[in-house]
Amino acid sequence: MPRLHRSDPPVRHWSLAGLGLLLVFAVGLAAQQPTPAPAPETPPAGTPPDQVTLVLQPGDRPLLRLAFPALAPLAAPAPAEAQAAARELEEALRADLLAAGIFSLQGPAELAPLELTGDLRHDFEQYRSLGNEVVLLGELKLEGDRLALEGRIFDLPSGQAILGKRYRGTFDIARRIAHTFADEIVLHFTGRRGVALTSIAFYSDRDGEKEIYLMDYDGRNQRRITAHRSISMSPAWSPTGDAVAYVSFFAGSGPAIYLADIASGLKRPVVTSGSLNTSPSFSPDGRRLTFARSLGSNIEIFVCERDGSGLRQLTYSSGIDTNPAWSPSGREIAFTSSRGTGRPQIYVMDAEGSNLRRITFAGEYNDGAAWSPDGTRIAYSARQANGQFAIGVSDLVTLDSRLLVVGNGSHESPSFSPDGRRIAFTSTRGGRSQIHVVGAEGGESRALTSQGNNYAPDWSGYPQ
Amino acid sequence: MKTARFMLPLSLMLVSLTLLGCPKKPPKSAPVAAPVVSAPVAPTTEIRAETSPGTLSDQVEVDPLADPDIASLNAHVRDRGLLGDVYFDFDRAELRGEARERLARNGEFLRSRPEFLVTIEGHCDERGTNEYNLALGERRATATRDYLVSLGVAASRIRIISYGEERPVCRESNESCWGQNRRSHFIVTGRGGA
Repeated sequence: MPRLHRSDPPVRHWSLAGLGLLLVFAVGLAAQQPTPAPAPETPPAGTPPDQVTLVLQPGDRPLLRLAFPALAPLAAPAPAEAQAAARELEEALRADLLAAGIFSLQGPAELAPLELTGDLRHDFEQYRSLGNEVVLLGELKLEGDRLALEGRIFDLPSGQAILGKRYRGTFDIARRIAHTFADEIVLHFTGRRGVALTSIAFYSDRDGEKEIYLMDYDGRNQRRITAHRSISMSPAWSPTGDAVAYVSFFAGSGPAIYLADIASGLKRPVVTSGSLNTSPSFSPDGRRLTFARSLGSNIEIFVCERDGSGLRQLTYSSGIDTNPAWSPSGREIAFTSSRGTGRPQIYVMDAEGSNLRRITFAGEYNDGAAWSPDGTRIAYSARQANGQFAIGVSDLVTLDSRLLVVGNGSHESPSFSPDGRRIAFTSTRGGRSQIHVVGAEGGESRALTSQGNNYAPDWSGYPQ
Repeated sequence: MKTARFMLPLSLMLVSLTLLGCPKKPPKSAPVAAPVVSAPVAPTTEIRAETSPGTLSDQVEVDPLADPDIASLNAHVRDRGLLGDVYFDFDRAELRGEARERLARNGEFLRSRPEFLVTIEGHCDERGTNEYNLALGERRATATRDYLVSLGVAASRIRIISYGEERPVCRESNESCWGQNRRSHFIVTGRGGA
């Protein structure tokens, strides 16, 4: 079912009637029930189909049919630089809306047969004639050395304007202008902000040794942030996106935890003593880290302050305890333990180390817990009988689990987008290890990387 | 053990003799010769007696384990199989029977060279997750070290490090390769107090 609209609509120029928004959905649902959600690539074996709808949230909603004709171009004469920025903005906006997964999009090609006159009432009927429910009309303007975008969304049955926005920025941030508008549009239709302004951290051997990299949510703007020429791995975003914690071997005394400040590029050690410090994860308030640590004997889960002080041990088992992930509420920590069975399984404990319970029961080998942002689900790497990994998802209330991405290569290291609607992961589909993104309900995944081998994506929170 | 103690001064002397025999080097002020002054004289005679006429350098075997260059020392240790790798079962960190036998020989060697400091690297095959493999590699290195300590090698001489699956010795995806990658690997990292 459609989510409620936001309580404070951020419309500046156009008044949004919450009623109109609901109307869009009401009409949308009534008018076009046949549009199915994209079918999962691999049906979960032995899982009743209704369980999928129960466990996972938005995917069963029909796609909203959005007409998006070409933006009205810059008035001539515009410098080539401005025109290039305008093209980039429009391309990014189309890609963002498509990637959002809530629209069935008709662009200039699909709309070409229409006879548009510029009379809105007439044109709206034309868009409607192709089954569209809403239309996005936009205009680009050159204002000095800046590019301005005015975008409006109209409900087609009623002709009501339901969203209007104006953005302006320098040419070099054309994509960010598009991302900002796209996120606002998604917020209006889903109640949750889009993720077009978020980033993904990962590690890669593309430049020789394994180093830490960042990229935009769509795979653009891939850039390296370490140059240790050693093994650097396991990046983890701080909740505000100001820093990435990671593991590196460069000091030569075993894997240790460092913090990279994004703005300054400075790196500083967090925990380097002991023989092993791995897999850091931030507390949601950004003040603490949990990680796995060994002093040359057992590997246990620890926490410390962001600067490495206040080290405290949370687990005491003779098995391996590793790969902790702090829950979005801050109250719990999921981690991997080989206690009992001798094989890794996912457990959850309270953040003080008490109230331990096992989460995964299917399969012999589950690792790499990733919380959904609402804290109801955990995704993980699940080893299959053929030795390949699949991405599994477990519901924390029912403990029901299913495989989200399975077969055709090995799939590991899931990480949820901050809206919970997508999962980034590592996949060997196509040969080398690449970062892919898939809807949180499954479906076709898309590769974001292609150079070298790429591992362990960690999706940022919303930019602050 | 006696021979080991003996070999170091002996080899230094032989090196110095070699240098003395070389006409291009300044014969007296060579700094390498300094330790010889306080060393016993007798071994020099022994070697001379066994050596047929000719250039000394052709005949003398310098103890390679006295090599101050750690890299070439490790190459020698590797080529002679003095600190062989120890292999593990899939997903496991327990020592198999043959691993214990291997470690008995490694331990004997380490006891014979008490000045050697070593690092034990724990490695895994690619079939686990990177994170869990780092932990598993640590367990393999730990189990290896603990067994050596039980055989009388001082724990203070051994450092451990896990590379998980990040530094495979073999890069193909088959059982033969995986088996080679599931290992504890020894590196001599220096010389310290015996």
